[in-house]
Amino acid sequence: MTTAFRRTLIASTALGLVAGAAAAQELTVWAWDPNFNGAAMEAAAAAYQEMGNPDFTLDYQEFAREEIEQKLQTQLAAGTMDGLPDIVLIEDYSAQKFLLSFPGAFEPLTDVIDYSGFADYKVALASVDGETYAMPFDSGVTGLFYRSDLIEEAGYTAEDMQDLTWDEFIEIGEAVTEATGTPMISLDINDPGLFVVMLQSTGSWFFNEDGSLNIEGNPDFRAAMADYQEILQSDMWTQVNSWADYQASLAGDVASTVSGVWITGTIKAADMSGQWAVAPIPRVAEAENGTNYSNLGGSSWYVLASSDDKELAFDFLTSVWGSDVEFYNQILVDQGAVGSLLASREGDAYQEADAYFGGQEVWQDFSSWLGQVPAVDYGIFTYEVRSAIASNIPAIADGADLDEAISSIAAEAAVLTQ
Amino acid sequence: MAQTRLGRAENRAGWAFVMPALVLVGIFMIYPILWSLWMSLQTGRGMTTSFGGLANIQRLFADPIFLTALSNTMIFLAIQVPIMIMLALVFAVMLNDPKTKFRGLFRTAIFLPAVTSLVAYSILFKSIFSNDGLATTIVTFFGGPEISWLGEPFWAKVVIILAITWRWTGYNMIFYLAALQNIDRSIYEAARIDGVPARAQFFRITIPMLKPVILFTTIISTIGTLQLFDEVQNITQGGPSNATLTLSQYIFNLTFRFMPSYGYAATVSYVIVVLVAVLSVIQFWIARDRK
Repeated sequence: MTTAFRRTLIASTALGLVAGAAAAQELTVWAWDPNFNGAAMEAAAAAYQEMGNPDFTLDYQEFAREEIEQKLQTQLAAGTMDGLPDIVLIEDYSAQKFLLSFPGAFEPLTDVIDYSGFADYKVALASVDGETYAMPFDSGVTGLFYRSDLIEEAGYTAEDMQDLTWDEFIEIGEAVTEATGTPMISLDINDPGLFVVMLQSTGSWFFNEDGSLNIEGNPDFRAAMADYQEILQSDMWTQVNSWADYQASLAGDVASTVSGVWITGTIKAADMSGQWAVAPIPRVAEAENGTNYSNLGGSSWYVLASSDDKELAFDFLTSVWGSDVEFYNQILVDQGAVGSLLASREGDAYQEADAYFGGQEVWQDFSSWLGQVPAVDYGIFTYEVRSAIASNIPAIADGADLDEAISSIAAEAAVLTQ
Repeated sequence: MAQTRLGRAENRAGWAFVMPALVLVGIFMIYPILWSLWMSLQTGRGMTTSFGGLANIQRLFADPIFLTALSNTMIFLAIQVPIMIMLALVFAVMLNDPKTKFRGLFRTAIFLPAVTSLVAYSILFKSIFSNDGLATTIVTFFGGPEISWLGEPFWAKVVIILAITWRWTGYNMIFYLAALQNIDRSIYEAARIDGVPARAQFFRITIPMLKPVILFTTIISTIGTLQLFDEVQNITQGGPSNATLTLSQYIFNLTFRFMPSYGYAATVSYVIVVLVAVLSVIQFWIARDRK
């Protein structure tokens, strides 16, 4: 069907049926965080309306990230597209899995979006066989978020927190925990997110270039795991049992956390202005190319091939997400969303100091760290390997022999990635 | 035997009446079962699958996670079902005694968990056993150690067993109560006259008389435990360290959480089918009438 014909069709429907015209201007979107990507999407809809599309409406539907993946996976497998949204948010770790498992389910956007304006690594994560399928959204560049007041109470300054190694961090962490009674970090032992951050900071990943496992005999994996074991065996952490508990712990129960920049929204929701600061994450000292920069999460918008109104989705995505620097400034300040549109880095908001972080120019910091994040190809089995790691964490925390633990992880991962 | 015309007409009417039900059973039961059998012979990722023969069965035996899930499920089964059946029996006998006060109240209280939603009560248990939850508060109040209930493999299993026992004991008790009403009072009367002590009455009269119901509840509970999913998914998500991962949850993970592996997931689900069949046969054999 040609675009012109489609427009005529929509117009004629509109003549006959007012409700029909309204429905044609609506997009349904799935996302998972009301303080972050959901709010950013709603801000994008408002921006699009102001661009001369007053009839445009956005039907934002919120589900947990796991639920979105499960719903997508179930429906795409069953082959029923009813009830699927026009646009869906998918985390970078899962992108390749969906693109490869369900060919044809997502609309290629290679001819719609000018990808030269976006960060390369984001584009690569959403590409299969020369086609790119997503509007790149946020980066998960990591930072060490810490409570400046508690650190000070324990006798440390902001300078002491810069460019640490994990050994130094553990030393400070134990001192802070002892001096203030507040644990340094909170960890969910079912979620090896911190280890994943540590591994990427060394420039290594679970897989080789050909997709085969790179766990046993990977010196970076072992070095990161040695530091991780030291953290688990220290007295500076408290255990949380879910993501919600983890988020709640940031409102006063811990002195620091290592996470993606998107956690800013949660930290700012706690109403503790001036008590937080950000530094680069500690580095794995034993790793050959250990850096203080890494990535956690990050996601992009995908248009489903089953969408009734792809033209509208394309227009919406390209006019707001593809070029509106003003909009990117707004979501940076309001949601802490560091977008992947390179031009947005020139915006004013990136230069400003943030009072919540004691006047630190955090956005400037994050965008300079972003450029130094070692790029890795996440492949299609990230969550399988994460699960294999999680199942060995209690043994590692109990002081298991590192090489045995790594062999056990590799064995489980080998089964799960068949 | 030669059929009369009336007989044939009745036959036709009979088939006409059962046909709709048969067609529905065919479409929604038999066809999916056959299809899943076919699926279990497929290998591959997502929608791109190919025929793999018995490759999935080979994969089973080399899969440490499957073996963990299997042994967890068996541990839940071996520990939880006997405890629950015994508890339910004891409660039923106690509450069947006319001398017990507030019988109605206790019956209701013990049965009530069985009407709560699986997810709702799981979330409740999760909060009770969280690090600063009620269980920790009570244990430390009485001078006990601070236990990380959901963080340690052993205690996480204990929590799951506690949860399913709480949820299902009352349900089984109701079956025993109903069956106890059917035991002829005169048997107990005769036993009393002959001077049989209460303990012997329980083991020599009550249990043998309840045998068919005990068999029924054991099989139902065995099947229920083999299919255990809601509780672990909501309380521990299978963790820590896969210590509470069950077969059903592994199937779920293989289908929805990981790169979809529908064929292998179907194979694992057939393991549950085989286990249910084998265990039921064993239980029937143990409870058979020895003549």
